Amino acid sequence: MNLRERLFDTWRFMPGRQRTLLLLLLGALVGMGLYLVRISNFFSYLSDDPRACINCHIMYPEYATWRHSSHGRDTTCNDCHVPHHSVIAKYRFKAEDGMRHSAIFTLRMEPQVIRARPEAIHVINDNCIRCHGEQIVHTNLADHGRLCLDCHREVPHGRVHSLSSTPNAAVPPLDPVIPRGWMPGSPRQPGGSR
Amino acid sequence: MTIKPPHKPLIPGWLLVVLAGLLVFGLGVLASSINERRAESKLARVQFLQPLDEWESDPAKWGVSFPRQFISWESTRDSATRPGFLPEGTGDYLAQRPELVVLWAGYSFTKAYNKPRGHYHSVEDVTGTPRVDASTPATCWTCKSPDVPRLMARDGVEAFYANSFDHYRSEVTNPIACLDCHDPQTMALRISRPGLAEAFQRQGKDVTQASHQEMRTLVCAQCHVEYYFKGKEANHLTFPWDQGLTVESFKQYYERTGHVDWVHAISGAPMIKMQHPDYELSRAGIHAFRGVSCADCHMPYTSEGGLKYSDHGVRSPLMNASTACQVCHRWSETDVRARVLSIQGTTRAALSRAERVLAEAHLEIGDAMSLGATDAELEGVRHQIGIAQMYWDYVASSNGLGFHAPQESARILGRAVDMAQECRLETQRIRARKGELRPLEMPDISTKEKAQAFIQPYLEAQKAAAAAR
Repeated sequence: MNLRERLFDTWRFMPGRQRTLLLLLLGALVGMGLYLVRISNFFSYLSDDPRACINCHIMYPEYATWRHSSHGRDTTCNDCHVPHHSVIAKYRFKAEDGMRHSAIFTLRMEPQVIRARPEAIHVINDNCIRCHGEQIVHTNLADHGRLCLDCHREVPHGRVHSLSSTPNAAVPPLDPVIPRGWMPGSPRQPGGSR
Repeated sequence: MTIKPPHKPLIPGWLLVVLAGLLVFGLGVLASSINERRAESKLARVQFLQPLDEWESDPAKWGVSFPRQFISWESTRDSATRPGFLPEGTGDYLAQRPELVVLWAGYSFTKAYNKPRGHYHSVEDVTGTPRVDASTPATCWTCKSPDVPRLMARDGVEAFYANSFDHYRSEVTNPIACLDCHDPQTMALRISRPGLAEAFQRQGKDVTQASHQEMRTLVCAQCHVEYYFKGKEANHLTFPWDQGLTVESFKQYYERTGHVDWVHAISGAPMIKMQHPDYELSRAGIHAFRGVSCADCHMPYTSEGGLKYSDHGVRSPLMNASTACQVCHRWSETDVRARVLSIQGTTRAALSRAERVLAEAHLEIGDAMSLGATDAELEGVRHQIGIAQMYWDYVASSNGLGFHAPQESARILGRAVDMAQECRLETQRIRARKGELRPLEMPDISTKEKAQAFIQPYLEAQKAAAAAR
């Protein structure tokens, strides 16, 4: 008898009440999974929207400093922080970084000062060149292993970095868990419409 | 009716149910965690504050409304405030550097001089040191407790200074804490001690006009400065800042006012003991030049669950280099540490050299006296050695082992050694005139006990001379 049949046997010979309980729990599992997708704004992570990065409040300083910088108008976080040479590389990097970030944030292991890892630094540098390539004349600097950010240190997040470097920064709030319009009396959102 | 299975199933049915239940539970916990962290992002900025009395000096009362600040303040109880150089425990400086006993012969610092501890211990340490005795004025309480502003307001500042230390023993109980720097109604930083405000006033400045960022340094400068007690009876706590904050301007100030802390028991030189010119020395450093305040490094901003507060566990920034240094210096913690320790090591070496030379100079002047040199002959070298030691002390008594202003510290110590050596040359000429051409053989002062035993006869002779006068 093969394994699949033996596993199926568990279900086949289960007492009826156990079956009901199991089905209920499996249903709860699916529901809880959907709920998790909702409260964690799961699908936002597939997008390029910078608001995905401030699903966690510890990124507020990064968001606020970027928003007020010269890069705040025409770039997104992903323009600099994920590789762009292929779609696969982009999503692989996003997945790896995302899993690490969410694990660290959930376990409350975030450091007071967030710094780019060596892998991330190279992604960022490649992205500086991706857009500004034509402006780089003094290539001898880059030839000696220097990074753009070695000199352009304040681009774009400013001089001082820490979780507390932009207290009370005005950043967009999280969307409410209950979709707008579901409740007849739900609070008005910034911008006026429900 | 249940159907009997032909054989035992691989996984029993109940196990599946339990597993599914555990999974649902696990996802629920994860969901709660996400929700908790979502809630942190909108933490209400509303705080429920317990009203505080105008003179509330008990930090625990403030802690009811400001638990994070209070708990971090309590951490100043731990004595591990300085990594690297100093051993744990009391850190007996006299045992580590017995030359100090010779340098301070005739002054109470030869009795005990220990590693400084955190704010939490201020009252315990000032009452525990043998330097304090029945003749100590109340002025010594000034920087030790938030009970002091109340007592100054009640008795008047002049009367407070003129009183004895013992007079206030029962009324001063809380160590340096909230009321020393904060207004209990608004929590704004404020100057609670007269010394700093008076020094500003004499310079034509108004301390109440300082910006918030300046106040994050000035509240520290109420105490972490050079000061002296003006007037034999009045004991008015005074900063010698009228000419400026450098060691040269202090020299000018003390020469102009003629103030002397004590007369050296071996060399008979008029001496000034520097206190701890942390503020003055740090003004000469790059951090101050760039507008960094004391609190930026010693009480760095910290984030806890989306709430920002200033870490009130005042200590060496190296104890938490991440929030203190790395917010600006994007190097690894190891690099930051190595850089600081190398600067402190250099300063330590220069200090040790100066201590050796100063001790030799005092002993040689003492020897010239025993050879019959007169006060008139020795006036020049005595004055010079007093100044040289004051220069050395400006750096030695400052916290941070020169890190607050490395270049300025090195310059001052270079000048101190230079002056002490000039002084030794001149003393040598005086000794030669008295017929002594050989160099003075140095006594064995290799331990604190030997050094203390060595100066004892000089102290007795000084006491006898004072009694005869």
